[in-house]
Amino acid sequence: MYAALALVVGIVAGVFLAPTVPDWLAPYLPIAVVAALDAVFGGLRAKLDAVFDAKVFVVSFVANVLVAAFIVFLGDQLGVGSQLSTAVVVVLGIRIFGNAAAIRRHIFKA
Amino acid sequence: MADPTDSRETGRHEVPAPAVSAQPSLLTALLADPQDPGYVEAAQRRAGQSPGERPGRIMTIGWTLAGLVVVGLLFGVAVQNTEANAPSADSARRGLVADIDRAQGRAVDLEGSANALASQVRDRQAELGVAEPPASESVQAVAAGTVAVTGPGLTVTIDNPSGENNDVILDRDIQLLVNGLWSAGAEAVAVGGVRLQPTSAIRKAGGAILVDNRPVFWPITIDAIGNPATLPADFAGTSGYGRFASFVSLYSITFDVAAADVLTLPAATEPVLRYARTLESEETATAPPSRSAPPTG
Repeated sequence: MYAALALVVGIVAGVFLAPTVPDWLAPYLPIAVVAALDAVFGGLRAKLDAVFDAKVFVVSFVANVLVAAFIVFLGDQLGVGSQLSTAVVVVLGIRIFGNAAAIRRHIFKA
Repeated sequence: MADPTDSRETGRHEVPAPAVSAQPSLLTALLADPQDPGYVEAAQRRAGQSPGERPGRIMTIGWTLAGLVVVGLLFGVAVQNTEANAPSADSARRGLVADIDRAQGRAVDLEGSANALASQVRDRQAELGVAEPPASESVQAVAAGTVAVTGPGLTVTIDNPSGENNDVILDRDIQLLVNGLWSAGAEAVAVGGVRLQPTSAIRKAGGAILVDNRPVFWPITIDAIGNPATLPADFAGTSGYGRFASFVSLYSITFDVAAADVLTLPAATEPVLRYARTLESEETATAPPSRSAPPTG
């Protein structure tokens, strides 16, 4: 469906346009990717639960990315960058796994 | 948990008040796996609105697609960034290896040209009669290792055992073996193709054997030119030979000694002498006593 197509279009555009990531932004790219993954899985689960809302999806994606990057940036300034980054990744990973499990239940049971 | 007062709730009795307005705790999220409260709230809000108040279907789809394109863009940039960074370390390593190969090739070329020039110098000296070469200079050159030589002798091949604990032979052992060859009467010795001089050193660095700071690779062939009648027997009596023979039974190394009719040993690079200077003398130099030559005068 159109959603998957839009995602693929974005990925292809990212790979082929190959924008050079500025050096100061490069450390936050992995955290942003994990936060985006969390937003995507949350959106997919909401869609399967029939409670999907576009505004919530976009806002959750943007907010996740910004907040995660900000937490890591703050940690870098305070000298606990790697620990906070680990914490952010752990929490987002737990949420991703929870949403993925719910999606799996939808697909294979309901 | 107390129900928060919510103005949206007024008059909409079929919509229950939101039970949670904050993120579930970590343990709750782990164990109960509840739905994202943002979506739940939005759904309840939409259920309570009349159809006219809801944003159009096109708006919804538009926002969703725009959000997904941005997410995809982020993924694509991350993937492309990772791919772009991965080969850099590998290409740096390959560049260094190429540099090492080039430098080693250049070192070999320079050695060859240095030897050729040295032999040219000797020829010119002989032509001009500038320095009457003492009778035993050729012997000295052979002993110093600065000319290539050929003759009969011994070939010793050593190798570490195959398998796990295969770092058995140390530089000390090879030094003992070579000293045994010298004491048995060898006149020229080459280890792994590198001719030994009086200033030569056999070292082990990491897993590699370095002879005069040139790496030699396993299996190592040690060539010694000497009297074919006495060299093998005298060599078999040295402690180096005994040590390696015991290594064969203890560690299963390879240790082969074979007589050879004709061996050709390359010349060594002339050493750079920083402190030793030749003594200037008006008379033709008399040869210092050397082991193999009869003393002059």
